[in-house]
Amino acid sequence: MLPDLPAERLVAQLQTMLRIRRFEEELIRLADDHAVGHFHVYIGQEVTGVPALALLEDGDVAYTTHRNHGHLIARGADPARLMAEILGKATGTNRGKGGTLHLASAEHGFPTTSASVGGPLPIAVGSAFAFKELGRDRVSVCLFGDGALEEGAWHEAVNIAAYRSLPVIFLCENNSLEALGQKANEYPSSTLAVRRLTDLVRPFSVPAVAIDGSDAAAVHGQMKKAVRRARRGGGPSFIETWTVRWPGSRPIWPALVTGETDVAYAWDEGRMPDEHRDWFGTQDGLLRFLRELLEAGHVDRAWVQAIDGEARSEMASAVRYALDSPYPVPEEALEDVFA
Amino acid sequence: MPEMRYVDAIRTALDQAMQTDPSVVLLGEDLTVGGPFGVTRGLAERYGEWRVRNTPISEGTVVGLAVGAALAGLRPVVEIMFVDFLTLAMDQLVNHAAKLHYMSGGQLRVPLTIRAQYGAVGGFGAHHSQSLEAWLVHVPGLKVVAPATPADAKGLLEAAIGDDNPVIFLEHRGLYFGRGEVPDGIEVPIGRAAIRRQGDDVTIVAIGRLVGSALEAAAALAADGIEAQVIDPRSLLPLDLPAIVESVRRTGRLVVVHEAVEMGGMGGEIAASVQAQAHDVLRAPIVRVGAPFAPVPAAPELEQAFVPSVERIAAAVRRVTGRPTVATH
Amino acid sequence: MAVTRQPAELVSLLERMWLIRAFEEKVSELYARGRIRGLLHLGIGQEGVAVGAIDRLAPDDLVFAGHRAHAHALAKGADPAKLLAELAGRTTGYCAGRGGSMHISAPDVGFMTATGVVAGNIPLALGAAYASVVGNRSLVAAAFFGDGAGQTGGFHESLNIASLWGLPLVLVCENNGYAEFTPLSAHTKIERLTEYAKVYGIPALTVDGNDVLAVGQAVGEGVDRARRGEGPTFVEALTYRLRGHYEGDPAKYRELAELSDWKARDPIARFAAVVADSGAFGEDGANDGVAEQQARARVDTAADEALAGPLPEPADITRYVYAD
Repeated sequence: MLPDLPAERLVAQLQTMLRIRRFEEELIRLADDHAVGHFHVYIGQEVTGVPALALLEDGDVAYTTHRNHGHLIARGADPARLMAEILGKATGTNRGKGGTLHLASAEHGFPTTSASVGGPLPIAVGSAFAFKELGRDRVSVCLFGDGALEEGAWHEAVNIAAYRSLPVIFLCENNSLEALGQKANEYPSSTLAVRRLTDLVRPFSVPAVAIDGSDAAAVHGQMKKAVRRARRGGGPSFIETWTVRWPGSRPIWPALVTGETDVAYAWDEGRMPDEHRDWFGTQDGLLRFLRELLEAGHVDRAWVQAIDGEARSEMASAVRYALDSPYPVPEEALEDVFA
Repeated sequence: MPEMRYVDAIRTALDQAMQTDPSVVLLGEDLTVGGPFGVTRGLAERYGEWRVRNTPISEGTVVGLAVGAALAGLRPVVEIMFVDFLTLAMDQLVNHAAKLHYMSGGQLRVPLTIRAQYGAVGGFGAHHSQSLEAWLVHVPGLKVVAPATPADAKGLLEAAIGDDNPVIFLEHRGLYFGRGEVPDGIEVPIGRAAIRRQGDDVTIVAIGRLVGSALEAAAALAADGIEAQVIDPRSLLPLDLPAIVESVRRTGRLVVVHEAVEMGGMGGEIAASVQAQAHDVLRAPIVRVGAPFAPVPAAPELEQAFVPSVERIAAAVRRVTGRPTVATH
Repeated sequence: MAVTRQPAELVSLLERMWLIRAFEEKVSELYARGRIRGLLHLGIGQEGVAVGAIDRLAPDDLVFAGHRAHAHALAKGADPAKLLAELAGRTTGYCAGRGGSMHISAPDVGFMTATGVVAGNIPLALGAAYASVVGNRSLVAAAFFGDGAGQTGGFHESLNIASLWGLPLVLVCENNGYAEFTPLSAHTKIERLTEYAKVYGIPALTVDGNDVLAVGQAVGEGVDRARRGEGPTFVEALTYRLRGHYEGDPAKYRELAELSDWKARDPIARFAAVVADSGAFGEDGANDGVAEQQARARVDTAADEALAGPLPEPADITRYVYAD
């Protein structure tokens, strides 16, 4: 279902989703020939991050973890500078110091990405604490995966957020419905002894919901409630979004297992490769969103092809920018150790 | 004599230990599918999922659990995916594992091994690239080893598992896929250094992956008539100080090389200990070659600048020998 | 299923509670006189939990406690003289003077260790339970901790793993309403730690911690479940510490009314009445008071023995850093 928003906002969200998709596809191709470190792509989860983060305003902050490219692009970070950072260039958002795992853009409300699972949770709570102390009606969002809930830091963070009624939103993108190394063991995930991840939040009396992450309307609706609650001093919220992990994110290094996404899959099933019919046909939230927009008449095929073309060309430029950018000089290695 | 990769040497040591001693168990993330580097591949099929136990991402409690299991008669081997995440287990490691034997007046034993992968390779960035041995050697009650060859990996892991104290076994991921000869039944005691190269002009002590770099530097220096003795300490705690001192008594010069940040690193500890015993024979100040005082940067060029290079090692040797580079071409 | 207790058992429980009370009061007295130094946390008023719970464990079962652990060590069978010697820093103490109050270890009676880090002992107990499973033993591990532990990350991780792996473990929370100097309600919205246990599917019971039989009942159920291979149990025992957080703490942070309220519910006084009702004291109540006398006498002897022990040699300071 489509969020209850004016058509042009929905269309803008589609554009952002396509831009993220094309960015990640370019990156996977680039990684074949260039050292980018160990990276993680957001393919398949755009339909969660984009509508959710669209509800944030200036002055709100978000913290994320290793699957971060889509989050930053969703909040307006420049893909060229992100790509440059991933390649370790001096023109990158972190001047080549951070790499994919630590992308940050403070001006877009993304102070940092932490690469230790669960790492951003206490920090996000800290920002919320500061907002409350300073009397600002800003919101802090923590984006993380299901794995983070195994870390003790989660428990300590939610306890403090709850009893101090802090304006923080815990957005858990659960893409481990059947993930690597785990086996069904009576629990949905064999590493957490709960039936539902939202059970973990119950003792703290924090409002918690679990929704289909590829249902943009649900994402928008719950996030809107959570943001409103936080801004009005109503304290934290927990939103779990379920998403099927993109097959290309199953191997240790991302690979274009399903091939590139052809936007025409949204209207022409015949074009879909047989072995990925499930993915493109029902599981890929971006295509679902696109199909709904087409059905609602907010976009037409020609237009979609056009904006997709723009997205591809933007990301191809981002790659060129990144490749053409210089590396930082070794003397720069010691800059920014201290402020 | 069999030749194998470093990761295979580790796996072989684990397999043999688990076969001979039913109290040896493995704990860590994704172990049943081999972990991110395939080290434990196949072991779950052989020993079952209680002895090769996948854990949630809860380093603190997993290390603590391993300590408790050790107190109750097991010999656990915990795999910490990246040494950077050992930070999440510091209370259990430092306050409990290291101190229980002492605090109990000798009643309790903690025969625990923690394997931690480390090192700056591949541009993984600041949270996946650190070298933290200096923190660990500072804790009475721990032992710390950092083998640089497949043979030492196998021998030292066996020794670690057999030791009744908590031992941190540091594995540089840049060494994982290197090959080397591993003699059957090889034994490597904890606390004994290895001389990798003979020489009388200067002593180079190098840790982990930099042993290889030190040897490369030594080869280049030999062309200029400088013969370096390269020592691989293999164990950092306890450190084979006598071996280093004996070498310095002959050469009169010492360069210590490590990938960890130079400030507060092992180089300082070794330098201070050596000069306390052998200052009368030193012909030059002791020089340390470590990483700059910065988090590990992600950009490949910066990461390369971070890790001490063969050139930096050779330059340090030239400084202490007073023999600047002779330009021959 | 309620456990019926013979009169002799009841007397034995009372004696154990008195031993702890006498011990702690003696320690307090010696501390005030400067004969014992360091940081001490006494469990006066909480004897019902340690005795009631540990009574249900077998000699081979293993106990891991927190910083307020004298009671648990004694309840498990530790020798009061060796324990007091340890508090007094003597080489004849359990830990040769190295451990002190917060790091007592008496593994020969199954009291593995206390710890100075809140919740630090819980993962240790998990490990012992795990070892029991791997070694196919029927050993049960028990962890004792306070309400403050519930806020720590390690607590959460431990509940998760204990439940996930079905470990033979009893988790006993002594909720005395205060984490150090702060009432529980100021740290967290959750006042009953059983709420956390339930999230992870761990059977959870709340009991009056000052009723030694009720504690025994609850913990006994947990021990039975664990031995049958049915996994962990969480018991929250509501109790109160009659002294400050540590010896010397004036405890100005609590109301005198609260204190006197709980004094009236002193676990020993209450249980003495239960024992009297059972007739175990003889028809004319002649044995009432004997338990206290005997405990105090035993502790006095222990104190004399302990304080006569030798002090450690400074030159020995690095002994026991490593196991040979």
